[in-house]
Amino acid sequence: MALLELDGLTKRYGGLVAVNQVSMRVETGEVRAVIGPNGAGKTSLFHLITGVVRATEGEVRFDGRKLTGLSSYQICQAGLSRTFQLTSLFPEMTARENARLSAQARLALRWQPYGGAAVFAEAARRGDEALERLGLTDVANRPAGLLSHGDQRLLEVAMALAQRPRILLLDEPTQGLSVEETLSAVETLSGLLADGQLTVLLVEHDMEVVFRLAQKITVLHRGTVIADDVPEVVKADADVQAAYLGGYE
Amino acid sequence: MTGWRLFFLAAIVLAAAPFGLPIFAMTLLTEALILGLLAMSLDLMVGYTRLISFGHAAAYGLGAYASGYLLLHTALPLPVAVLAAALLAGVVAIGVAWVCTMATGVSFSMLTLAFAQLLYAVAFKWTSVTGASDGLAGIPRHPGPFGITVFQTKNGYYYLVLVCLLGAYVFCRALVSSPFGAVLRGIRENEAKTLSLGYNTRLYKIAVVALSFALGGLAGALYSPFAGFANTELLFWLFSGQVLIMVIVGGQGTLIGPILGAAFFMLLEHVLSAYTESWALFFGLIFIGFVMFAPQGIWGLLTSRRPKNARI
Repeated sequence: MALLELDGLTKRYGGLVAVNQVSMRVETGEVRAVIGPNGAGKTSLFHLITGVVRATEGEVRFDGRKLTGLSSYQICQAGLSRTFQLTSLFPEMTARENARLSAQARLALRWQPYGGAAVFAEAARRGDEALERLGLTDVANRPAGLLSHGDQRLLEVAMALAQRPRILLLDEPTQGLSVEETLSAVETLSGLLADGQLTVLLVEHDMEVVFRLAQKITVLHRGTVIADDVPEVVKADADVQAAYLGGYE
Repeated sequence: MTGWRLFFLAAIVLAAAPFGLPIFAMTLLTEALILGLLAMSLDLMVGYTRLISFGHAAAYGLGAYASGYLLLHTALPLPVAVLAAALLAGVVAIGVAWVCTMATGVSFSMLTLAFAQLLYAVAFKWTSVTGASDGLAGIPRHPGPFGITVFQTKNGYYYLVLVCLLGAYVFCRALVSSPFGAVLRGIRENEAKTLSLGYNTRLYKIAVVALSFALGGLAGALYSPFAGFANTELLFWLFSGQVLIMVIVGGQGTLIGPILGAAFFMLLEHVLSAYTESWALFFGLIFIGFVMFAPQGIWGLLTSRRPKNARI
């Protein structure tokens, strides 16, 4: 059984179909990218999976459990941690506090009215570990709002990672980065994925990034899946070339 | 640890106050501490969670009427009646917060205002319980428990208020420094992100409103036996606005600041009203001055010169 299954997922806004009958299976340990030109419905798809918006039709299953209809905090608690396309952090907290708060969410004892120090210690340990894996240890004590844009993007990934998710959902992790920043971010991310322990669903429009990171690619065009295969096959696909090269009409 | 040293120093000074101050000053100080407790309770919502309540008079009024009613109609000892009234305010707040947290931002504030006005109307109409426009008068201070009568004296009552304030401060300080408090700060800075991190933010908001109301209710419950009466003014929207001003002028998100803000408000009202009937006008100008030039409030001004004490 696949870890994450989408089944006929559809989202309509009035007459506009943002996501149209999308079905997809992500296996444990897989790094899957969803690509497509601007407005293809990639972020909408993410919002449907994580409960930010409700699907008009279709179903999301995670490890056999139906997620459709759950609130976004419940979906996160099920083991799906995400980042946002537009950086979303706690700007006045330090990078370390950001990661700690994120890790704290998944600790069973977080509601316990006593023993806060132990909860903080464990959360900080997990948070620091995630910061280190993304090379952010040096900036850990700086307020998140003062970090460079590249570090902010990576901090969001670190926060998701600190939750020890069963699947990591990355919404355009290199969005808004310069060419150099993108290269270094991709370097860091590919190092992170090298051991094959993480299951990742990645939304991206930068093809370079996708071909470096993903093992399988799903191509969305106007809300519909037009290809779903390994990178080599997708690259050669005529429909994909038409969708990308045929312009953004 | 400097912060706690300052706390103990303040506690000792306040505990010694009855030995050095005249009676009328003690009356003012007692009321200032009660208002300080109220303002501090609002700070949990406003300063730590960015839940702007325009209806905190509801907590005060609920506590004041509840303890007044209990003391008038039962033989409960004073401290028991006060705690029961605070508990009632907290429990009622769960329902209020459940409704108000359906909205966010300005709509949340408007719902809190509407709820306080609703209570105001109820207090006006429910004659058998609230005494309508007359309010509750002649509220006694029953002795006990265990035959303790010290709270019946002026200074004894002051110590009861002081213990409640110090206890509430320690509780609030522990709360905002706990993992729970970290989530509140997350909600303050970025609620959408906090939700997506797996926190049921609405539940946290309901919890903080309930705690804030319970402590605000405690303040009200201490006020009515102190003044001997409870009336609808305690529930009026103008009073909600004044408490919000105390929090902002004192320094939101600091707990201590709002206590100072309440004392400052009382002192200024006392001094200015001796010279002019339109003292509120001058207070308004001072408020505008703080918002424009010192948004961190009195406590912010005091600690910015001595950054060592910034984290009390």
